[in-house]
Amino acid sequence: MPEPLVLIIDDEESMRDACAQILLKNKYRIEVAGDGASGLQKIRDLRPDAVIVDLKMPGTSGFEVLENLRLIDPQIAAIVITGYATVDSAVEAMKKGAYDFLPKPFTPEELRLILARALDHRRLALEAEALRREKKLLEENIITMVSHQLRSPLVAIQQYFEVILAGIAGDTAEKPKEMIRRARERLDALLNLINDWLDLARIDKGKIIGKLEPLNLLSLLEKLMEFMDPLAKEFGVSLEWTGSPAPMAEALGDKETLEQVFTNLISNAIQYNKPQGRVSISLREDPDCLVVEVQDTGIGISREHLPLIFDQFFQISRGESKKMKRSGLGLAIAKKIVEAHNGQIEASSTPGSGSTFTVRLPKAPPAAVSA
Amino acid sequence: MTKNPSKILVIDDDPDFVEAVTVILVSASHQVITASNPEDGKKKILSEKPDLVLLDIMMDSLFDGYSFCHAVKTSKEFESIRNTPIIFVSAVKEIAGSRFGFKGEEQGMAGPDDYIDKPVKPAELLARIDKLLRT
Repeated sequence: MPEPLVLIIDDEESMRDACAQILLKNKYRIEVAGDGASGLQKIRDLRPDAVIVDLKMPGTSGFEVLENLRLIDPQIAAIVITGYATVDSAVEAMKKGAYDFLPKPFTPEELRLILARALDHRRLALEAEALRREKKLLEENIITMVSHQLRSPLVAIQQYFEVILAGIAGDTAEKPKEMIRRARERLDALLNLINDWLDLARIDKGKIIGKLEPLNLLSLLEKLMEFMDPLAKEFGVSLEWTGSPAPMAEALGDKETLEQVFTNLISNAIQYNKPQGRVSISLREDPDCLVVEVQDTGIGISREHLPLIFDQFFQISRGESKKMKRSGLGLAIAKKIVEAHNGQIEASSTPGSGSTFTVRLPKAPPAAVSA
Repeated sequence: MTKNPSKILVIDDDPDFVEAVTVILVSASHQVITASNPEDGKKKILSEKPDLVLLDIMMDSLFDGYSFCHAVKTSKEFESIRNTPIIFVSAVKEIAGSRFGFKGEEQGMAGPDDYIDKPVKPAELLARIDKLLRT
């Protein structure tokens, strides 16, 4: 990425020079314009990352620059400088799309800070925009992607059969048998994928709400840890309880679907772990909810993938099911279930050292005191 | 059995399909090199200089195969191996047509030398390869 391009539009030469001097130390590329009209021309031609504009200029005013800037590219970060620091003009500028304003006189540090924040804001907005576009593209091609996922295993199986029937699979009986075993594995994976898709389509908020009841999360998690122990042993991973033993409120949940959520999180934590890794499971009571955390010591999730891991389209596009028995839809299903509970699920990760999945569930109302 | 055994690069992200096609090619005494993604494919087409490439159209992202083929046939990077015949292999017959609004060749993308549908019939695949290698 080249250094951010910052355009300074001000009719006072001394002001332009001062800003440029301050910012040059921070590795920005600087352009200047002495009036609003030539400023707008430079915006069109150069597409700067940020514009610093004086509100009060003869000719085209700062307000007009802001209005036109928004039409040219609304993602350009605009900061206004104003000598007459009235609340009204600042509010007006913000309404017209300015990110922030800087009343004169200001210190170099103030200018640097506001510009850095504006550029940060712009970068995040651009990243979000790119994600939205990618997701839209995936959604538009969903039929192609889904049929690809369904067709790939079938084609692979057919291809093995073609080879076996052509009599070229090998001289021994073992080779064709191996091909049939592989074909069976692909069929198993395909069935899992279809089941998960159906699950995803069937999870219905109305139905889950209807089944909510006070639920002892502690005993549910204990039971699941016992159930998952063989899998953990198989992967050489230790399962640890790090939650508080203190009695706490019950959750308001649907046992069956929540078991599915935590089974999925724990089995991911085991299977994506390092050998001799650790999975820590904890439960605590916050003022307004119960919080379950499943933490692993695996390879972690890269920063650009993190916002996407709960997205069914992302999982489909990655084609995980081709290499694994899992459909890759488990997290999309978990998110849908937790949200149907009016809860939240989120992930944080440090690539290289592990990920933490956090589930927040509403508390059950205190039991009615019987007379 | 084919009379001219050759070096064939199979680029496909499905390991089972690659395995099965390898068996077919080896049965005709061809030497097989494989790549499971376009990047690896680009490396191997340059380093191994295969006589022919079998290319899956739709790998992890849509239409990967199209851009791969276009790059090999037109970009300077691949000048030395530009004439290597490429056969598209795809289970999505419609992609070659217009069902999903993508007409590679109409959009100015360089096309392959031949198409074949997945799953491939062993005899048909070998015959098409022979034909391209003879010309």
